[in-house]
Amino acid sequence: MSNVEDRRGIITRLSFLQYVVTALFSILAVSFWVLQVAQHAKFEEMAENNHQRTLALRAPRGIILDRDGRVLVENRPSFSISIMREHSKDLNRTIRMLAGVLGYEEAAVREIVNRHRKEPTYRPITVVLDASISQVSAVRARRLELPDVLVEPMPTRRYPEKLAAHAFGYVGEVSDKEISEDESLKSGDIVGQSGIEKVYNTQLMGIDGARRVVVNSVGREIRTLDQQEPVEGRRLQLTLDYDLQKAVEDGFRVAGFNGASVILDPQNGEVLAFASLPEYDPNAFAAGIDRASFSALITDELKPLQDRAIQGRYSPGSTFKMAVATAALQENVITPDFKVHCGGSANFFGRSFKCWKAGGHGTMDLRHAIEQSCNVYFYTVGNMTGIDKIHKWATALGLGERSGIDLPNEVQGLVPSPEWKQQRFKEKWYAGETISVSIGQGGVSLTPVSMAVYAAALANGGTRVTPHLLKAVDDGSGWKARPTPPPTAKAAVDAEKFQAIRDGLWLVVNGGGTGGRARMPGHDVAGKTGTAQVISNEGRLAARTTKDLRDNGWFVFFAPRDKPEIAGVVFLEHGLHGPNAASVARHILETYYAKKEGRPLPEPPADFHLDYKDPYARKTAPAAQN
Amino acid sequence: MFERRLYYHIDWALLIAILALCALGVMMIYSTSADPTRVTSRLYITQLYAIGLGIVALLVTLTLDYRTFTDKSHLIYIALLGLLLYVMFFGVVQMGARRWIALRGFNLQPSEFAKVGVALVLAKFFGENRGTPAWTDLAVGGALTLIPFALIAKEPDLGTAVTLLPVFLAVAYLAGMRMRILGVLFLCCLLAAPVAWRFALKDYQKTRISTFLDPSQDAKGAGYQQIQARITVGSGGLQGKGFKKGTQGQLRFLPVAHNDFIFSVLAEEQGFAGVLVALGLYLFVILRTLEAARLAKDRLGAYLVLGVLASFTFQVVYNITMSAGLAPVKGLTLPLMSYGGSSMIATLAGFGLVLNVRMRRFTN
Repeated sequence: MSNVEDRRGIITRLSFLQYVVTALFSILAVSFWVLQVAQHAKFEEMAENNHQRTLALRAPRGIILDRDGRVLVENRPSFSISIMREHSKDLNRTIRMLAGVLGYEEAAVREIVNRHRKEPTYRPITVVLDASISQVSAVRARRLELPDVLVEPMPTRRYPEKLAAHAFGYVGEVSDKEISEDESLKSGDIVGQSGIEKVYNTQLMGIDGARRVVVNSVGREIRTLDQQEPVEGRRLQLTLDYDLQKAVEDGFRVAGFNGASVILDPQNGEVLAFASLPEYDPNAFAAGIDRASFSALITDELKPLQDRAIQGRYSPGSTFKMAVATAALQENVITPDFKVHCGGSANFFGRSFKCWKAGGHGTMDLRHAIEQSCNVYFYTVGNMTGIDKIHKWATALGLGERSGIDLPNEVQGLVPSPEWKQQRFKEKWYAGETISVSIGQGGVSLTPVSMAVYAAALANGGTRVTPHLLKAVDDGSGWKARPTPPPTAKAAVDAEKFQAIRDGLWLVVNGGGTGGRARMPGHDVAGKTGTAQVISNEGRLAARTTKDLRDNGWFVFFAPRDKPEIAGVVFLEHGLHGPNAASVARHILETYYAKKEGRPLPEPPADFHLDYKDPYARKTAPAAQN
Repeated sequence: MFERRLYYHIDWALLIAILALCALGVMMIYSTSADPTRVTSRLYITQLYAIGLGIVALLVTLTLDYRTFTDKSHLIYIALLGLLLYVMFFGVVQMGARRWIALRGFNLQPSEFAKVGVALVLAKFFGENRGTPAWTDLAVGGALTLIPFALIAKEPDLGTAVTLLPVFLAVAYLAGMRMRILGVLFLCCLLAAPVAWRFALKDYQKTRISTFLDPSQDAKGAGYQQIQARITVGSGGLQGKGFKKGTQGQLRFLPVAHNDFIFSVLAEEQGFAGVLVALGLYLFVILRTLEAARLAKDRLGAYLVLGVLASFTFQVVYNITMSAGLAPVKGLTLPLMSYGGSSMIATLAGFGLVLNVRMRRFTN
């Protein structure tokens, strides 16, 4: 082979290589053009998602004040710990490590994550709502190992006083159902779950802000790009009076009973105090209540989560008698001077009905019948008036109706009527049943809040005010008074006739009646006690149960008699006797007047010296077995 | 030795293009690693030292006649095998591989020099034979390549080992190996692939390949680098994000940005415009080197030039493809630009030989 030929072969092969290399580089150039120019927008967005994160700046909920401007509900700074799935390289590893760092069961953390799995990945999953300082520092110390775990400042609801829990309600993480109903809510939001927090949730919730930050590949923040400040929720001023509220709850504590109390301004329906006992601690919910504590609350026999004031229905006993009297007077069945003789019992429709006083009260008119709470008088009058008229006037005074208070899930009480019985049981009304209804038994069951409305109506001359808790709202531009909700009804009562009832109520407290414990010289307190059976006496004796079956005690009241400015109800669950409730009311009224007149507020007494005797208690349980 | 007239035959254009690429590399290393708060922030200085040493090596390989080197190539080859064996027993272990010899100041990576050594020995071997290489010639040449290949692959550093194969193929091709044989070799590789998959490849290598075929199946693990590389390049756009302003490289979404993925950083910060400049420079260097092979006075020189060029071109094309997320991630650096002393010195020494051959095309 000659040298020249040899050389030509080399040159040919080199030229071929030249073309190959040029072609390869052209392909490379085109590939880069496709990536960098044609698909630039897509990759630019991906790069931005890589290094930019939007962190929520939680808006604090609006604070809640009492009528004097005292803070009742506020927020405290806290931290939540959540997982950002979007950039998670190994979610299982993150869950395992985070559980270890937090001191939780891995399964518990996994369950929280699974619950939110379907949500968009850019939304962090909150694992701990109100993390402890040691949890926060443990997570921060391991930031490099847990780049996808987020520690966010977050305001947590705080209820500084353990008061009025049922009025405030509580907050909690929004549920999936709530999100589907309200588009403005998103996962992880804290919303009101009951009470004021729920009813005025939209006002209380602020608008979350956001902060856009640059993070590096291990999730460390490098700098902030921009920030949108959160807007705090609106501030609410309630009609509640902190001092009065405290007096109410102190009163129950001293008495040692559960129950409910609603105190109103009878002129406009402002709720001055609102209590249902036992209470729960709303702070426990604010920090994200754990399952065990929640189920303990749910299964508690005393039902601390039930708002007895608006959700409990109880037989009103003798406190119902004013409704019967109103019906009889307004329908001209009797005059206030109508007299009845009480011999301790009376016969109606072939059956004997007893008065509570064994020897009888003798002959008396309406005023004294109220004072003495004479059953025979009201059996007689009720029988003369008839169930339809009793029902009509009880309803006019707010009994058996929803009060319309600005709290959720209020239930309706019941004043029986022939229509109701027909509908409910498909049975005819028996005239004998009217006798029981006349003294507030026989199926009459009422909510404490409706009893407060009733007390207010007795006080103000028949106006069924709408109880309400919200007084004013501040959306940042100053306080705006909330218009008083109009009364739900106004009973056309004759003032003169009505005065007779009020005189009777005055006598209950200031005469020889059962309400003497609420007497306050100079303040003309008017009121009525009620002692209502939970079960019939015979049933009580026969019952074999650990359930508390002691009688309930009521006291409805207002003061002063002629120009009333406070009205309300004290309901002692299993409080044995109505007069016991009057003792609690006395402390409430004392506090009210001390505050009004600028005197130092009374300390709650160590003891009300209540009557704890239970006349129907089974005295000889072991003997009964022999 | 170095006659004055030779000076006029130095291919200055090629040298300038090479140095321009080095400068581009230093710039990108500076961009990704200069950070006053970090220890690694002085990487670009180290790289400048490496370039200085590389230029010295280039001057050495330029000054002596290339035939002097090919004459001694068997000795150079044996010395290299010795170094590779030394590494095997006494090398420094980093990131799970024994690749380096610890010298004062820096680590030497003999495998980088093996490319030049193999080019020299193959040039000499095929240059001595006239005419189309016989089967035996190919077998011997192949063996000369496979011995260092095996030693390097054992480190393990399959990436660098594989760059030796183009040297053999290119020299044999230029020496007149029949195309049919190339075809047979290709077919053998294809048939060997499943066997290699089954027995030779390690799990992480299998993952890399399967991940390349579908990066999303392992978006956070092995596919991560590939996806991030594509994002890095794609987000650069036409003009780039600007010097030191690339988010992907700066915020470390892209691993080993100053090393294997330096071209991605260039694409991100300087955009498609910068990519075209760099691609143009590399293409110029390659075509200019092919021209040097064509101009070579003898076959020996042509073989030597092509041997040096083969591993260089293979590495450049593969690395740039990988930088765009278009090839499986392999620890292969981009010659002249990536951070790395041994690679820089060996590459520049290789180009010294290229310049040498071209420069001495008229001498006897």
